[in-house]
Amino acid sequence: MIFTNLNASSWSNVGQPKEKGLFDFDFITWMAWTWPTASFFIFIALCISVMYFWEKKVPGGSPRKGILGLDTTRGDRLFVSLLGSAFIHLAWLGLVGSLLWIATIICVAYFVLVFKYV
Amino acid sequence: MNKTFNQKAWYFVIPVFVLVAFNAAVPLMTVVNYSFQETFGSNVFAWEGTRWFKEILHSERFHASLGRQAIFTFIILLIQLPLGIFIALTMPKKGWGVPVCLILMSMPLLIPWNVVGAMWNIFALPDIGFLGNSLNSIGFDYNFTQQSGDAWFTTVLMDVWHWTSLVVLLSYAGLNSIQPAYYQAAEIDGASRWDIFRYIELPKMKKVLTLAILLRFMDSFMIYTEPFVLTGGGPGNATNFLSLDLVKMALGQFDLGPAAAMSLIYFLIVLLICWIFYSLMMKNEART
Repeated sequence: MIFTNLNASSWSNVGQPKEKGLFDFDFITWMAWTWPTASFFIFIALCISVMYFWEKKVPGGSPRKGILGLDTTRGDRLFVSLLGSAFIHLAWLGLVGSLLWIATIICVAYFVLVFKYV
Repeated sequence: MNKTFNQKAWYFVIPVFVLVAFNAAVPLMTVVNYSFQETFGSNVFAWEGTRWFKEILHSERFHASLGRQAIFTFIILLIQLPLGIFIALTMPKKGWGVPVCLILMSMPLLIPWNVVGAMWNIFALPDIGFLGNSLNSIGFDYNFTQQSGDAWFTTVLMDVWHWTSLVVLLSYAGLNSIQPAYYQAAEIDGASRWDIFRYIELPKMKKVLTLAILLRFMDSFMIYTEPFVLTGGGPGNATNFLSLDLVKMALGQFDLGPAAAMSLIYFLIVLLICWIFYSLMMKNEART
């Protein structure tokens, strides 16, 4: 049977039938999807799609030597932006701890700077 | 010349894509999902937000194992690189010695990691092991199961034994690719042995050495099997490296959320350092 009932998500109703959410199809429940994490991966997928269409429009990846002295293409700049954003968020969590959206705003600025200068 | 533009061969890459999706992308996504949730098993999850990340970033235990890991990797690189280059320099360039040396050098690399751990465990046992017993009989108070200094010594020695060969083989390949003309020119100029090494061999080996550092960094920073079999992280927490600690947290304590957060931070550190190495390598590439 494909549509078996799931365990509910608190101790009072463990083993009770629960209404199915979007991510509750059976073979994937162990992946424990949530909307915030899913939207993170949707964002990554969107980034990659944008890179694809950008490359179609302006082929060659617009290579240049940035301020770090590295030869970078668009893909490198995306990677540097994403990796840097991860560290900015971690640093914010470690040093400040709350109001994480401020770190996200810093990351947007960082994205712009990286795509302009690196 | 008319060339047909056909990219259909890319379809052959699909199987690899599927494979990578199942052994890398899906597990990685799952780890990201777990790192924001608490679970007690049987697929019951509760949202925790960024709590685990904060906890790990402030955790003394994480700082300690990260520190141990960094020190271990640093010591390993400090020993293995000079030693590897030195051995490569002394290896014969032609004759029957070449295959003999190459085979001897490749031998440790062919042994499975857990076997290396088990070998060194038995070898270093203070009562019956050859190394342990010999050290004790000549007057050293050596016991890697009880003294943290000895445990470190044994772990480092084991890794040097296991992996220096990789540096040797890479440096040897780099040395062999140097044209004889360079040596002849050096001889005419009356260069000393040190000058030849400093101004010909070392610059020519730069690329392979960067590669060797990168490989040795990654392997030693993610080392698990050998210390797990040799010391199991002990005595106490003395050799509890980052990956050992991670597995203890994930499987020993079943703290899947914090362990997922920890492994993501671990992953990001490795990714950052590898990217730095990669960029440095590419930088050299562009210049030469």
